[in-house]
Amino acid sequence: MPPDTPTTSLLRGAATGSDRLVLALVRCCLLLVLLLGPLPCLAAQTTETDSIAVLIDNAIDQQNVAAGITTAPQADPDTLLRRTTLDLAGRIPTSRERDWYLLLPAETRQQQLVDRLMQLPDFDFHLRNSLDELLLPERPNDGEFREYLLTAVRERRPWSRMFREMLLAAPADGPDKGAAQFVRSRVRELDDLTNDTAVLFFGVNISCAKCHDHPLVADWKQDHYYGMQAFFHRTFTSKKNLILEKPFGGVKFRTTAGVDRDAALMFLNGAVVTDATPSYTDEEKKSAEEQIRRLEREDDAQPVPVSFSPRQALIDTAIADQQQQYLARNIVNRTWARLVGTGFVDPPDQMHSGNPASHPELLQSLGADLVAHDYDLRRLIRSIVLSRAYARSSSWTSETAQPASQTFAVAVARPLTPRQLSASLLIATRSAGNWPAVDEVAAKPDEWQKRRTDLENQANGWMREFEQPSRDFQIAVDEALFFSNNDRVQNDLLRDGGDRLVNSLKAAETPQQAARLLWTVVCSREPAEAETQVVVDWFARVPQRQDSDVQALLWAVLAGAEFRFNH
Amino acid sequence: MRMNDEPVAAMPAATTPATPQAAAAAAVPFVPSKVSIDRTVRLPSMTFCLARHVPSGRVFCGGADFGLHSFDPAAEKPETRPLSEVRHSSYVTGVVNAAGTLISGGYDRSLIWWNAETGEQLRKVEGAHDRWIRSLAVSPDGLRLATVADDMRTKIWDTQSGACLLTLDGYDLQTPHGFPSMLYAVCFSADGRRLATGNKTGKVLIRDVATGEIQQTIETPVMYTWDPKARRHSIGGIRSLAFSGDGSLLAVGGMGQVGNIDHLEGKSRIEVFRLPTGERVHEIEDSKYKGLVEKLQFSGDQKWLLAAGGDNGGFLSAWSLETGKLLAQEKLGNHLHAFEMLSDRTLVTVGHDQASHVTLSAG
Amino acid sequence: MSGKRLIPVQCGLSDVAGVSRRGFLGGTAVGVGGALAADMRAVNGLRAEEIAGELRRGEKHVILLWLAGGASQLETWDPKPGVKTGGPFAAIPTNVAGIQVSELLPKLAQRMHLTAVIRSLNTKIADHGRGADLVERGRLDDPGLRYPDLGAVVAKELGRLESTVPDYVSLYTSTEGRRKGTSGFLGARYAPLFLAENMAPPNTGLHERLTAAEHQDRAALRDLLSKRFTAEHRGSTVGSLNSAYQRVQGMMASAGLFNIEQEPAEVRARYGPTQFGEQCLIARRLVEAGVPFVKVARAWWDSHGQNFETHLELCADLDHCMSVLLDDLQERGLLEKTLVITLGEFGRTPGINASLGRDHFASAWSCSLSGLGIRGGVVHGATDAEGHTVVDGEASAGDLFATILQAVGIDHTHEYMVGSRPTPLADFGSKPIRSVLV
Repeated sequence: MPPDTPTTSLLRGAATGSDRLVLALVRCCLLLVLLLGPLPCLAAQTTETDSIAVLIDNAIDQQNVAAGITTAPQADPDTLLRRTTLDLAGRIPTSRERDWYLLLPAETRQQQLVDRLMQLPDFDFHLRNSLDELLLPERPNDGEFREYLLTAVRERRPWSRMFREMLLAAPADGPDKGAAQFVRSRVRELDDLTNDTAVLFFGVNISCAKCHDHPLVADWKQDHYYGMQAFFHRTFTSKKNLILEKPFGGVKFRTTAGVDRDAALMFLNGAVVTDATPSYTDEEKKSAEEQIRRLEREDDAQPVPVSFSPRQALIDTAIADQQQQYLARNIVNRTWARLVGTGFVDPPDQMHSGNPASHPELLQSLGADLVAHDYDLRRLIRSIVLSRAYARSSSWTSETAQPASQTFAVAVARPLTPRQLSASLLIATRSAGNWPAVDEVAAKPDEWQKRRTDLENQANGWMREFEQPSRDFQIAVDEALFFSNNDRVQNDLLRDGGDRLVNSLKAAETPQQAARLLWTVVCSREPAEAETQVVVDWFARVPQRQDSDVQALLWAVLAGAEFRFNH
Repeated sequence: MRMNDEPVAAMPAATTPATPQAAAAAAVPFVPSKVSIDRTVRLPSMTFCLARHVPSGRVFCGGADFGLHSFDPAAEKPETRPLSEVRHSSYVTGVVNAAGTLISGGYDRSLIWWNAETGEQLRKVEGAHDRWIRSLAVSPDGLRLATVADDMRTKIWDTQSGACLLTLDGYDLQTPHGFPSMLYAVCFSADGRRLATGNKTGKVLIRDVATGEIQQTIETPVMYTWDPKARRHSIGGIRSLAFSGDGSLLAVGGMGQVGNIDHLEGKSRIEVFRLPTGERVHEIEDSKYKGLVEKLQFSGDQKWLLAAGGDNGGFLSAWSLETGKLLAQEKLGNHLHAFEMLSDRTLVTVGHDQASHVTLSAG
Repeated sequence: MSGKRLIPVQCGLSDVAGVSRRGFLGGTAVGVGGALAADMRAVNGLRAEEIAGELRRGEKHVILLWLAGGASQLETWDPKPGVKTGGPFAAIPTNVAGIQVSELLPKLAQRMHLTAVIRSLNTKIADHGRGADLVERGRLDDPGLRYPDLGAVVAKELGRLESTVPDYVSLYTSTEGRRKGTSGFLGARYAPLFLAENMAPPNTGLHERLTAAEHQDRAALRDLLSKRFTAEHRGSTVGSLNSAYQRVQGMMASAGLFNIEQEPAEVRARYGPTQFGEQCLIARRLVEAGVPFVKVARAWWDSHGQNFETHLELCADLDHCMSVLLDDLQERGLLEKTLVITLGEFGRTPGINASLGRDHFASAWSCSLSGLGIRGGVVHGATDAEGHTVVDGEASAGDLFATILQAVGIDHTHEYMVGSRPTPLADFGSKPIRSVLV
């Protein structure tokens, strides 16, 4: 079955023989999840979230079996270590982490790796960065917002709570102050605030419905667009840069038929919130409007009392939406897309009936599980990275055409984000001994916290050199020119020094040793024989090995395709 | 209200004929501390220049409607009337009273002699300059006319015959940055023997009127306002010049350095030099009123200096020449382009779209 | 084997493994050393041939002279002498009977036969940022959808994917209103090579600690070591990395295009001493070398104060530099392949304020198109006697965008798929202005 057929569905389609058995099992699991919440333990070694990983794999495998699609084998341990570390820690593994990992028993290796990484400060940094890239892409260095996200992630706040905090944008002290930045950065453009909220929190792009009912999507009418906008219409910023709401006011729009209409407070699922705004006399309105003008101009103006908050109503409505679960399904879909490369719904802002999910029931189940577990993103992430679907090889050497991305039959090589790339460059250019062993990290977590914070800060200084990957991302020649000719690359990344990989490579006694060092540190794997031979040849081409030969070798691997991608 | 038009002489200055009463006025030192606007009159167009015509008591002004208009500044409700149906073919940027005859010039590169009473055009010199004429000045005896234009030439004319007596170079056609330069300002000394001119880049030349010989060069580079980075152009230049009555001081007006040259937002700027040493005795930047200084005039006793100009708004300011400090100042309608003294304490200003009768007082 | 580019040409990793390894080495270590001692001059020579090849291909180009801040239509293409709003400057005849322009453009007036003027732009938005967004992209971004600007669209449509010269160059050296340009949903591949601080593009010079040979060998080693991964990972994003590295040598070689010292002194003198003149010369060099789109931003025309002084200065610059550019292109046979545009984010108010300035105005303003695809000596549209409104031939930003695309032979109705959304190159409903097109 073509994977992109709109009617593709886990519980439909032609299944035969043993497929039917699998299908039945999956169905049972799904029902159980939907009705009872998390599944009971399936095996002694299996934790609760492993069962969700099983659910994921069953759903995907079943559909691929039914469609006759061959899946790629599981990735080799080195590849999986690098991938998982990049996805959970935001960086490549150190070679000492690799030493530890390779000694783990195969059957529990991934789980032990995942559990370790999720305990590290690295995980919080990276999840924070991922959410930041999603929610404030135009402002990659908004300190307050990033501090808020880091605090929320560290405290393991439920996604629903973060959503509430960011959209409520209430005045706050301390790290929570930054939550308002999502709204604040968009408040001057009501259309952006409306649509970005719909796109980023609900997976729905309704912008085409502004001027006319959506031409391609039956779900979205002008009522939805202006209904969403009505939740934000009263929002404004005071002179002190607080996000406030006016006590009254609504959105009027003209339909394509030319009729002027007042927009209802309508959520995407069609639910209309009763506008509980009390009635104001003209005099009260005039006075309030004057007060609002003062708030916009003066630092010490008094806030206007508001008895009904449309934004609060939107938050409540979205969280209460048990049927469609836009809030939960969106973050599930986006998290899946981030970790696997493509969403169940793709593009991720097209969650509507005209663009059905590749695995609708699975998406529904994962959403339900997220809701049932208090919107715990860590649980969701853990389930995904423990699945076999996540762990597939990204290499496709078969003569047959590569399966479509939404079959999840083969992993996708994903370009590193600017922060992943920056942190990884900093690790890859240091010598192996520069980083602590796993047991040292465990023994002295505070020291690692400090090292990792330093690494994060240093990475910030590099990330501006790289583009944030977007859909169908193309790496620009600017990046290749930067790597090829920029001073920072030559003078910093390739610098010689006691803690530098260049130094260790120079000290290697044989080209073979140098090759092994290079590949284990930079690529987190042993070099292939042919690669070792390239190093041998590279050094042999000159009578006396120079520092520049070592630097060139390191550069060639750092600038290479393998390093640039999470594969 | 009848205007204060007692026969106390106008202050000796480039465009105001010196009178014998000047010395008497100096006997009782007057130092203004207040500027009062007595009345204003709406003008038919943007107005850049004016000349007082003593016999008729009227003031003639020229501007953006290409013509000259006159009004009686002494009238309670002054009414403007056009001098003639005949006009220039572009903005009128200078008008002077040369011994009873009006002479005007403008961006059409031509000069026109007028009978102020009848409006009759007496003479027209087409192509008096090759580019836009920026300013006119008349010698105190009314016999010599000086014109400056963007052909970067200064010309001296016989006001009686209309003959061009001297054509003087001395300025580069282009700025150091390769753009067209402009020659904005010209004035005679009170004795009529010297002429000062000032250009866009802040270069003042002082010449002998009879020979055209350059006697002195003074540089005021801040006036240029060239922005080399943000906007890559300039809007400043020397816009006004005045000699003191005894010729020992020269005041140069323009605008100080501008942050954003989209607007006239630099501090209005005056530099005063002692002659012939060229020593700069005052560097005045007004922090309150911004924009170009379009007109300068020394008091008869050389104790203070009157300056007018503006950005969108206009200002009139009196500065002490002893201390360089502000004596009196008033916001005055829209951007002021020129004024003429009616007495030692009264004057008429013209600006963007209005004229004002203004009194200086010591109270 | 003694070819200079031996490593990348001869060897993949599969060759390296096993018996063919010696082939990779070219037999001896000495051979390899010789092979790798490639000389940048050889690369430059190669580039020169390819550049010549580009010329022979007769590609099409656009030079956008971006009058940043908003030039006054009344002091350029739509003079109104003698009316209240007209300002002091006269209108002068051009070499096309019946067409007059401001006296501030005497040289361009003598090249009117090459130029079509549109006097009827009504783009409505009179603030710099959004006005520029609109004019550069032919529409405003939709929420969640960033449109590419003209340069990016032309780069995509007229550039070659593997081009070694840049395909969209944007020069904007003044700081006010500086905009890089945006490739929107087309992605970083079509983002401009942006020159803001220096006239040399960033990261195109050889590092002082590397010789040309080392630089090239290193790149060859990178290509070699990336081959296996690239072979196993299909997809355009992985492919784009190698494409980007393959363009490095060409980009470095083409950096010389920005060096006008390489032009004869008389050519440089002809363009004149101003920075705009130098950048127009760079634009000609780039176009000659095959660059599809060059934007030269001349900032800053925002004459809220002293509009006439500002235009005396800046129009003289525009008049001279653009005239020389048109002549130079024509003499080299490039004008028939190159569209030259003057355009800003808007025009200026007919009303003159007390600072003798004109303010922002987007309701009735002008632009010009010369060269490729343009019917010269034509005026499209008209404004009323004082220039307050368009009275004939009103054109939107989308219409202008469509006109420009049509002029260079790009179908403005062609659609990109952005996600599930069909998106035409020019905004829905845009109509090219046929009267200015050949």
